[in-house]
Amino acid sequence: MFRVIGGRSVQAVRLLAPRSAVLVEAVRGRKSRNDPVAKSKEGRIKVPPPVDPVEMVVLKERYSEYELILRALRLEFKEEVLRKKYEEETGSQAEERARQEKEEHRALMDWNDQENLQMLKARILRIQKEEEEAESKTVEAAIQREEELQEFIRQKEKEILQLQEEAKNFITLENLDQRIEEALDNPKNYNFAIDKEGSVVKRTVLQ
Amino acid sequence: MVHLSSLLLKSYHSGYVVIRLALAGHKQANRPFYRIVAAYNKRARDGKYIEQLGTFDPLPNIYNEKLVSFNFDRIKYWIGCGAHPTKPVAKLLGLSGFFPLHPMTVTEAERRRAQAKLAETAGGTEDSQEGQQTQI
Repeated sequence: MFRVIGGRSVQAVRLLAPRSAVLVEAVRGRKSRNDPVAKSKEGRIKVPPPVDPVEMVVLKERYSEYELILRALRLEFKEEVLRKKYEEETGSQAEERARQEKEEHRALMDWNDQENLQMLKARILRIQKEEEEAESKTVEAAIQREEELQEFIRQKEKEILQLQEEAKNFITLENLDQRIEEALDNPKNYNFAIDKEGSVVKRTVLQ
Repeated sequence: MVHLSSLLLKSYHSGYVVIRLALAGHKQANRPFYRIVAAYNKRARDGKYIEQLGTFDPLPNIYNEKLVSFNFDRIKYWIGCGAHPTKPVAKLLGLSGFFPLHPMTVTEAERRRAQAKLAETAGGTEDSQEGQQTQI
């Protein structure tokens, strides 16, 4: 009935210090088949509890009654359970409930279809609007591009005109001699002096 | 470690359904409290049950009552489905009036009454004997 514990479990368990020399814990069925009988139980004969025959007769009677009633109750309950199940499935309420459910289902499906139609219309409108916007955007983009092109052309034309005007002053092979003589005739003096007050002096040592 | 049983949703069982007392709340020593429970026969006493059908508190309260509760509707259902109640549950149900009184309840009561009477008469004869002796 009591087991001596030692080894790995001892270290922790020794802390819960029993005052006995040996650590014991309760374990059922300590003796196995071949262990000898204990000294204190050597002459023991196991005797079942005494039965009073009068009481036994009375008890048997009572038990038979009890079992009869219990069997009857069990069958009653079984029948009740079966009846409930039957009524659930094929009773008067079941048909009505099924019908109501079908009605509900149909109504809900109709509502669902209507919702779908409305969403479809909304979707179509939205898609149309988006298409129009896209078209207008492309048109605007085209206009923008054309305008930019025109702008570019104008810029280039301006530059060309300017160049043409400047070309009048260019030095060509025919003008060369003329221009050289002109340049030699009019010496230009680019030198000037400036002081800290900002007054410019153009008169310098002429050459 | 993954418990494969929960993955497979194992729900087959061997044996039959019983209505029995299962110990609840093992956190407190020396304070038992039983649940009246419908469970499969082979399950551990305190293990997974199908449905709880009531309670039983074995320690008497301040008014010296032991409180029991039953869910009679569901008990009827389970007995109709073929559940077996155990002896203590049958006794409790008998005391409650749902079942007929268990024969052992009656016999135990009779035995105890006989014992009490015996003890009373023995005490009475002793007292009378003592009284006579003192008189003498």
